[in-house]
Amino acid sequence: MVSKDLLSECRSLRVWPAMLLLGVVVAMMFAMQADLPPQQLRQIVGGLLWLTIFFAGTLALDRSFAAEREDGCWEGLLSYPVSPTCVYLAKLTVNVVALAALECVLIPLFAILTDLPLLAHPGPIIIVAILGNLGIAAVGTLLSAVASTGKQSSYLLPLLVLPMVIPLVLGAAEATRLAVEHDFGPSWWRWVELLGAFAIIFVTASIALFEFAVEE
Amino acid sequence: MTDPRIAIEVRRVTKRFGRRLVLDEIDLEVAAGESIVLTGSNGAGKTTLLRAMAALIRPNSGDILWFGEKTSGQHESRRLIGMVAHENRLYPHLTLRENLVFAARMCDVVHPQHCADSLLETVGLLAHGDRTPPVLSKGMRQRLSLARALIHDPPILLLDEPFEGLDADAEQWLSGLLQDLRQQGRTLCFVLHDEAKTRLLADRVLHLHQGRLLQVAGQAAVAHVA
Repeated sequence: MVSKDLLSECRSLRVWPAMLLLGVVVAMMFAMQADLPPQQLRQIVGGLLWLTIFFAGTLALDRSFAAEREDGCWEGLLSYPVSPTCVYLAKLTVNVVALAALECVLIPLFAILTDLPLLAHPGPIIIVAILGNLGIAAVGTLLSAVASTGKQSSYLLPLLVLPMVIPLVLGAAEATRLAVEHDFGPSWWRWVELLGAFAIIFVTASIALFEFAVEE
Repeated sequence: MTDPRIAIEVRRVTKRFGRRLVLDEIDLEVAAGESIVLTGSNGAGKTTLLRAMAALIRPNSGDILWFGEKTSGQHESRRLIGMVAHENRLYPHLTLRENLVFAARMCDVVHPQHCADSLLETVGLLAHGDRTPPVLSKGMRQRLSLARALIHDPPILLLDEPFEGLDADAEQWLSGLLQDLRQQGRTLCFVLHDEAKTRLLADRVLHLHQGRLLQVAGQAAVAHVA
């Protein structure tokens, strides 16, 4: 299912180009507007980065089930002898890959545009990116399945996802800020632990709820 | 007690969408190898009953059983069912062969590539295997949908208006294939509007009216319709 979705996206280019374009445009707008001294810019760069990842990533999350429904394939998918958990995990994997691709573009772009050492210590930034990515994708995949049952899924999804992931976006923003300031002490670890806890809770809860979410 | 000779058993199934009652305490048994046709006007509940029989929707009350096993929560037992729905359920950016290989992999078919090619040949689309569904005619897409439903060799086949939108040649071809499947002993459930096709394919005709099963016609009654 994962390779089917990635192959379909490679051929149709329905989501990724729009997602990457939105991410780049928002990042450039933030960078141009935030004409601040480096010390102040360090304080806000994490928040700007993660808001950009969230809003651009929502495009990919939204399409994960909407495309199946538009093509009339959703019921076909449910009619296969596989558990809803497998369907959820496959869609989650595709969304994690999409968000990872977005992060691969946006993190270096933010580093260039703000001239901040976002990639001076890539290890910690990658850990934060993986955990933040997993948390957003876990909630987004579940709520995308819920939203895709309605006709206004594109408008509905950000409204559903944002309140759920506010703690996660805040945690990722703070962990990123501390990483930019080369502060990998206990406070950085606390934020990373928070991100890890959110990711585990969101993935577990979403697996448990997915079957009910997709039921008519 | 359950009887494995009964392929599909519908026990007092009721389904509501909001406040609208779509299926009203439906009781139905379909014997293994039997071919039934559901008829009725638009909105009578035919497609909903077919989707409930395919375990794609959960009834508000009542049970559906396939060969004596309850369908609810039994993902593995979906192997028993193949379905041709109104929509084609084909991925537009995958080729015909890739669509079938994907379906075969999802059903754990042992040799998915070989199985896909074999079915493409059966439905006369082997030469078009590397094309994508949007460039095909409605009839060709319907053939592929049937191949997709048959990919795991299910004993029960559910078909929702399979002749809709087909030209005369495609209708004739599909009639022949469905008769072959019937002779192979598969259990077939159709939603049909066409009387001639109903006569050709049905052992029994069930008439739905406003969610209720009003009339059960056997072979004699089917012949009488003729």
